[in-house]
Amino acid sequence: MSGSAPPRGEEHGALDELAVGWALHALEPEEETLFAAHLPGCSRCRGTVAETGEVLAALAGALPAAVPSDRLREALRAAAGDTMQVPGRPAPGAGVPDGASPGGASPGGDTGRPGPETVPTGFPEPFVPVAGRPAVPPTAWRRVLPNALVATAVAAILALGTWNVVLSTARDEARATVARQADVVNALLTPGRATVVPLSGDDGAPVATVVTRNGEVQVVNHGLPVNDPGEVTYVLWGTSDGAAVALGTFDVVSPRMDLQAVGSAATGLDEHDGYGISLEPGRLAPSAPTDIVARGEVTN
Amino acid sequence: MRAGDRGAFEELCDRLGRRALALARRVLVDDAVAEEVLREAFLAVWRDPGAYDPASGSVRSWLMDLVHLRAVEAARSGPGRRRRPGEAPPLRASSGEEGAAGGGGPDPVRVALRALPDAEREALTLAYYGGYTQREVAALTGAPLGEVKSCVLAAVRRLHGELGAGPLGGALGSPAVAERPGR
Ligand SMILES: [Zn+2]
Repeated sequence: MSGSAPPRGEEHGALDELAVGWALHALEPEEETLFAAHLPGCSRCRGTVAETGEVLAALAGALPAAVPSDRLREALRAAAGDTMQVPGRPAPGAGVPDGASPGGASPGGDTGRPGPETVPTGFPEPFVPVAGRPAVPPTAWRRVLPNALVATAVAAILALGTWNVVLSTARDEARATVARQADVVNALLTPGRATVVPLSGDDGAPVATVVTRNGEVQVVNHGLPVNDPGEVTYVLWGTSDGAAVALGTFDVVSPRMDLQAVGSAATGLDEHDGYGISLEPGRLAPSAPTDIVARGEVTN
Repeated sequence: MRAGDRGAFEELCDRLGRRALALARRVLVDDAVAEEVLREAFLAVWRDPGAYDPASGSVRSWLMDLVHLRAVEAARSGPGRRRRPGEAPPLRASSGEEGAAGGGGPDPVRVALRALPDAEREALTLAYYGGYTQREVAALTGAPLGEVKSCVLAAVRRLHGELGAGPLGGALGSPAVAERPGR
């Protein structure tokens, strides 16, 4: 299936679970990364997150209401009086006012924000920091979306259903798989200019993804069959103008998604207009591929 | 709430502040940290009310989401900050609390929560009120992770139907899915 049309119903079950976990802030970081790549393009999941949010807000409403201390009320009023609103997003690091530090930093201190005296507050009460308690550290917003290209690759991998393995296997197994997938995703998210090329088998189904970055070539395998290393090897080829150049060999030792560094080339990777994978007898790459099992073109 | 509308901001504080604080205090051990969380969240709202997107739900759910996120981040940022499983939060506190239903009949949300199968209620409440990740819930309960995830989804789906929340285009409001039993 392609990653563009949101799947429905049962096919989307694992993602429905991720959507609810996301709304609960109960996902592990690697799950958040994967789901963050999926969410912007999926109206179903955005709807699920919104619906879950309403249910959770109702759960919050079921708690016995707590009465804020006078100190908190005053702090809120005063802070609203002397804190500027911004028209756009808050700048990174601006999420916590100075006064959140224990003991209360001086208002209007070092941030370049106008001090309280420049804003008519209408509230004579001074800012009252909640002193002598551990302050909450500045919130690190974990939901930073990866860049679009990598997000697409991650979403494509997610759409392949490998994630279902995680959800349906036993816990230890699942943890190992999650860790392995996290390694793959982390590798994909490494900063730098990357070319991501999905490769498909003869039936059009995606079986592998080639990622090139800084002269390094990696293959994310998610559908190639396990090979017998004593008999055959996979060879990755770069193609340009019909000519194929062997870039490296690799073995598929597990049916699960895996990422391997296949080779490196100081120059020339940018010249390839496509990639192919062949299965070859022996351990060495021949001069030309004999049996291409997957291929894909560089699109840009 | 428009930018600069202090009256609207104070109304929001009045309308949702107590619930939001109750949520933060449920997740966190230390009331002072909970108040800090609440203050940060409301200040974020005050600074940038345009961050609210009506397409993503009600103001209430947006604010509660913000408070919950900050509360779980605070809980995960340091040991001893969150409640231990089974450690009941103060049901009536020194600063004074009142019943959620305002003295009317039984609160429908609590009724629906009580009606959930035990495993579902446990998984959902540990995750939401406890601030635990689903993997932590699995470790706490001894249930397989996959089961925790399906329990949480089933619980939310049941509550969504039970509370008559409107569909927003997601899996919970989709008729094809809603007709299925919770599991
Ligand atoms: Zn989706």
